Amino acid sequence: MKVFICGFGTIGQGITEAIMMKEEFFLKRYGKNVKIVGAMDSKSYIVDSEGLDPKSLLDRKKKTGKVGDTDYEDPTKVMDKVEFDVLIENTPTDVKTGGVGLENIKYALNRGIDVVTVNKGPLALKYKEIMDLAKEKGCIIGYEGSVGGAMPIIDLCLYDLAGEKIKSIRGIFNGTCNYILSKMDNGQPFEQALREAQQQGYAETDPTSDIEGYDSACKVVILANSVFGRNVTFNDVDITGITSINADAVALARSNGMVIRLIGEVSPTKLEVSPRLIPKGHPLSIPGTLNVAEISTELAGPIVISGRGAGRMETASAIISDLVGILDKRFGE
Amino acid sequence: MWYQLGAIHMIINAELFVNDLPGQLIGSIEPISLVDGNILGVVHNRDRIVDHRICVNVTFEVDDKQLERLKEMWSARDIVISSLGSVHETFSMEYILIGDVNAQYIEGLLRKMNEATTIDEVNVSYSTKSMKNAAHTSLISVKARYEDNLDKIDQILRRECKKSNITYVRGV
Repeated sequence: MKVFICGFGTIGQGITEAIMMKEEFFLKRYGKNVKIVGAMDSKSYIVDSEGLDPKSLLDRKKKTGKVGDTDYEDPTKVMDKVEFDVLIENTPTDVKTGGVGLENIKYALNRGIDVVTVNKGPLALKYKEIMDLAKEKGCIIGYEGSVGGAMPIIDLCLYDLAGEKIKSIRGIFNGTCNYILSKMDNGQPFEQALREAQQQGYAETDPTSDIEGYDSACKVVILANSVFGRNVTFNDVDITGITSINADAVALARSNGMVIRLIGEVSPTKLEVSPRLIPKGHPLSIPGTLNVAEISTELAGPIVISGRGAGRMETASAIISDLVGILDKRFGE
Repeated sequence: MWYQLGAIHMIINAELFVNDLPGQLIGSIEPISLVDGNILGVVHNRDRIVDHRICVNVTFEVDDKQLERLKEMWSARDIVISSLGSVHETFSMEYILIGDVNAQYIEGLLRKMNEATTIDEVNVSYSTKSMKNAAHTSLISVKARYEDNLDKIDQILRRECKKSNITYVRGV
């Protein structure tokens, strides 16, 4: 099994480390290794059809800031240089156009290559197009890590709850906003809470995507399309961010036994991201950077799932799960 | 359990007296199921006997339109209804409004809500205006008899707040 890793930032490095850690597991389960035959960051690349040493990739990236020693302009031309079975796509997300991630995914599918991605932009904008292409080419596409990081919500809904009628999903899908709102619960003003989130590494230098609700909206779209079989895009989501939530509002909620949380809600008719009032003690009132989802089902009633929504190894865990899914289908357990 | 459209969903606590004979306890509960009620609790007071009848307290949910039918069924089974206390279930929702919201604005909103639907209870509270913050904040708690009424209230608040550039945060 040969994989090509596109995007060698935090997530790309995390999955490289995870593949290294899981070498014995893959050997035992399939009798073969998972070989990294190509890796690419925003500027450089390296390929070797015999397999690259994961540790060397990580060391080079750490020392030089580059994964490879050759620069490139067109990622698809780099991928043309080598044969591989699975593309692991983790380039930075672009919710306006789908960016390079969308091009990479389409390229791989057109070549008949299976894809694992955590890139929300392409899925939030072109879900149907991507799925139709995968079906046409007989490819498998895994995207568990694109919603909720390590929280296995997609597989839970699609496989473990197969046969159930899922009525709605409501949840906290952005750890950064939850961190800020949790800090505000304790009296910290929005600006200070945001700054602290940035200093702790939870928020980007430009936090727009998180605090305006765009990141959560992408996840809501992915759930709507994959779990509810809808055909919606990012532009269909009714989005309200948390920038206008002030200390007064949080205090007023607190004095009435509630907290404010940014909730994504999806059902056959709803598609919304907005700050909501949550009673203290409710599963959706959790503090900190965790993600949580409440899945309302016909037979089983409400099911609550929670987990770390982001992070190097947390996201790698979701990618490994997709990779195992593909290997099981291609080579048998 | 299915409730009729337009029916009022009630929680009822009934005190019944049944003959001290085998099968009478089941006989008192069965009619509740027959009218699609949902039994929440049953207490069989064997120590409370009046005229050779044993007291049974039963709490259940039922549509108001089924209540008369239920009473008739109990009557036909020689079950005495000693008391019937009812509570209408209400649906509640909280909203926080952030922006240029003063008492006059809220009054206008409540008037629009009242014109469009029936509200059982409304409570409004305001935050003490922060010196650092030009925005006012208010919390509106609403109770309504039907869930549909809350949907209408929701639509009105959403529309009006959008029009006035006010952030609106609703409950779950």
